[in-house]
Amino acid sequence: MLIIPLVAVFVAPLLKPREASHLTALAFLLPFFSILYCIFGGCPREILLMRFSPPIGDIYLNLDFIAHAFGLTICLVSAMVALFALPYMEHRFEEMELDKNVEFRRYIFIYNLYAASMLWLVYSGNLALLYVFMELMLISAFLLIYKYGYGNRRWVGLLYLVWCAIAGVLTLAGFVIMAFNNNTLALNAIMAGGKGVGMVAWAFIFGGMIIELPVVGPHIWLPWAHAEAPTPVSALLSPLTVGLAGYVLLRIALIDYSFIEAYRMPILGYAIFSSLYGGFSVFKQTDFKRLLAYSTVSQMGYMLVALTLGPFGLLGVVIQYMSHAFGKSILFSSAGGIIAVHHGLRDINKMGGLHDSIPAISNAAVVGFLNLGGILTVGMLGEFFILRGVVDTFGIKTSSLGVILGVVFMFILSVWYGFYTLRKVFYGKPKSTERLEISRYLYVPLYVIGIISVLLLFPPLSTVLIHGLDMIPGLGLGVGGVVP
Amino acid sequence: MTAVTLALVALVILVLGAVGSFKFRPLGFLGALIAILIGLGTCPLYYGIFIFAIALVNLLSLTALQDIIKGVDYSLVGLMALATMYIFTTHDFAMVLVALVLVSVPTYILVMLRAGKANIEVGIKYITFMVLATVMFLIGAVILLYAHAHAPGAAADGFGFIYAVGYVMLVLGLSLEVGVAPLHEWVPDVFTAGDPIPISIIASLAKVVPFVAALWILIPISNAITPSLVLFTAVLAAISMFTGNIGALTAREPARVLAYSTVANMGYVLSCFVVIANHEYVYFAIAGGLLMLFANAVGKIGFFNAIKGEGAYSPFMYILAFSFIGVPPLMGFWGKLYILFSMAKMEYFWLVAIMVINSAISIPYYIRLAGELGVSWRMNLVNLICLIAVIITLVTVLFVPVDWFFKNIALVANSLGVVI
Repeated sequence: MLIIPLVAVFVAPLLKPREASHLTALAFLLPFFSILYCIFGGCPREILLMRFSPPIGDIYLNLDFIAHAFGLTICLVSAMVALFALPYMEHRFEEMELDKNVEFRRYIFIYNLYAASMLWLVYSGNLALLYVFMELMLISAFLLIYKYGYGNRRWVGLLYLVWCAIAGVLTLAGFVIMAFNNNTLALNAIMAGGKGVGMVAWAFIFGGMIIELPVVGPHIWLPWAHAEAPTPVSALLSPLTVGLAGYVLLRIALIDYSFIEAYRMPILGYAIFSSLYGGFSVFKQTDFKRLLAYSTVSQMGYMLVALTLGPFGLLGVVIQYMSHAFGKSILFSSAGGIIAVHHGLRDINKMGGLHDSIPAISNAAVVGFLNLGGILTVGMLGEFFILRGVVDTFGIKTSSLGVILGVVFMFILSVWYGFYTLRKVFYGKPKSTERLEISRYLYVPLYVIGIISVLLLFPPLSTVLIHGLDMIPGLGLGVGGVVP
Repeated sequence: MTAVTLALVALVILVLGAVGSFKFRPLGFLGALIAILIGLGTCPLYYGIFIFAIALVNLLSLTALQDIIKGVDYSLVGLMALATMYIFTTHDFAMVLVALVLVSVPTYILVMLRAGKANIEVGIKYITFMVLATVMFLIGAVILLYAHAHAPGAAADGFGFIYAVGYVMLVLGLSLEVGVAPLHEWVPDVFTAGDPIPISIIASLAKVVPFVAALWILIPISNAITPSLVLFTAVLAAISMFTGNIGALTAREPARVLAYSTVANMGYVLSCFVVIANHEYVYFAIAGGLLMLFANAVGKIGFFNAIKGEGAYSPFMYILAFSFIGVPPLMGFWGKLYILFSMAKMEYFWLVAIMVINSAISIPYYIRLAGELGVSWRMNLVNLICLIAVIITLVTVLFVPVDWFFKNIALVANSLGVVI
């Protein structure tokens, strides 16, 4: 089923915009259901693609529950954003005075390549294959910003490309060192070999991935890229792409946790600071998309915090990725809906009371913020496992109070800026009470994501998924892994 | 038939083609094509197929140039391709140097080619530098072999000093020949003043042999002082990467950008020399260096032809640009990856970091170049050439050809040795 999105990359551009969008959605929904089938019914753990000479090693697909959790999220968000993008991109092409039919073919080709790369990245069982898809993902995202972005889109595209290329090559340098330490880049062989990652390789990979994630400092590219990208791209870039840096760190941590253990406190402190900085920066923004971009910095801080918190924290990384992806894709799509309906409106000072004119989008945004805040959605599980990780790692005692309070305040801040934004954008005194007619494509996909994010909180989805993740050594309750 | 016999047969056909082209110009093309096809028999297929493909696009691109030696120009390219194929399997020191000269000399003539009349001014500048480079390389090689013959494996009785002098001269000759900074002065001038078609040949096919010749000489005669000497090469490589990429970033004219890109790329290839003293892992260097040279060759052919044809199909330009940047799974990525492997194995982490930084620095100018040279689709020779260049670049997408190439290079490296 994973091959279907790759086929769609080449087939979708041959169709008209509507059919191409539907095909794209279908191409990601089929693997989505296939992953669900694997979660409930089981499927092969690995699929060998080819045997490559050392130090690259076997190229195979890794079909474990971590990959399924990430894959499920990528498939759902990519399918729904593809549908949302149909009216949005037509509107964008009109703005840019481009031929809609011709340009949509180019757009859908790059979009499918982008989304398929992310999906294949999480199923890559070899770090060389993972790197290939990581770079394909980067390049396709760059092309979408460069060609269809807003403002100084070419400069922003290059800014994004350069920063992410630095992140990519630093990571590659780490992988190269790992390759020589282990004589392979196949994850299963590295785990079996027991030689680990090594501090130098870890440092390179960690350095690369905190740029990609990003945390405060190297985050400067993110508000530009996420704000100026066409909104369907922002709706993949922010929810899916950046979090994949957390996925890479998670995979490396499951092989060898020594680096995190050695530098736990500095990393944790930096991650909490980054999350708080991102959260407080939200209040200063006047551009809705830029506001959401800073929220991403804050949420990625969660992932880094979770990474430092032992087996339960690592489980939290997975769930946090899912909840952030669901929430942020809904929110960026909401911002896109406002842009499409209100002719490019992004300034939140000119918003207020939009619920009266576009209630469907407004209600979807509420679900989006519930995900970020961890309220009645899968985000709640994410926060639970992060807190469990804090308690397990530091214990409940006076000396750990600072960490516990820091993490709890991080969670509260998300809820705080969530309600602040909702009030500022959708509630308060309306500028107009006229209810606007909007395309169903602009809100139905958002509700589908929202519903799944709620369903994932409850059995049987949550229990089966968490149980499957628990079975992975080093994750959650899993035993026998390298994480103490 | 042996490789030598095949090479001689191919040479005869080349000469006949060149002579026949005075009466009927396409005979030159036909002769060159047959010669390089025969040349495939002189070297292993995994190497020869790339050289054949690069030479073929070089030949095709020459058809767009109505120069004063039309017909003979094909034979010159054929001769370069033949020497490039033959050097890979020869273990004879003299033949290695002959191959170097056979690749270098035709470029003296090619660089002067342009429609209508000869470009003498560029020719003089280029020839001056190239003669100096070739002489330095030859003298360096001879000194090295002399030192090795008298004190193999050790630096006894002052032979260590002689060995070091030979090594430095050979590396400087190589640097001048291919355009490694700080000996790159001729590259921007010649690349901008010459016609893009012959320059594309100089920037592509002509770059392979000097590196192969240097590796074939340096690897078998490496000794206890070689690990110290490679630091000199590493520093040169680092200087070249920075000079090339910063020069390309600040240059505006596409040909000048490509000139500096060549300087940077030659720095990448030179950096793999850090592993020559370690025979166990030298195959990473050879695999990486060759893949990098192939990627550089097809990229330069595509871009220079686009300059000549006032643009080429935009997606082709972007794919070639991404290959230069090192985006996987394009060919440029594999080249850089294996070079990184070789540097990491030798624990040259500072050079790894410099290569990483330079890969990032190069992104803006390659994207800018692709944007400037990219146009919408039209059916013409330039796009055909660029299409072939892109296909070669994409050969590595499925991983299998890379592994095939790499495995065979590992076998070759094990049996490497030059007979003095």
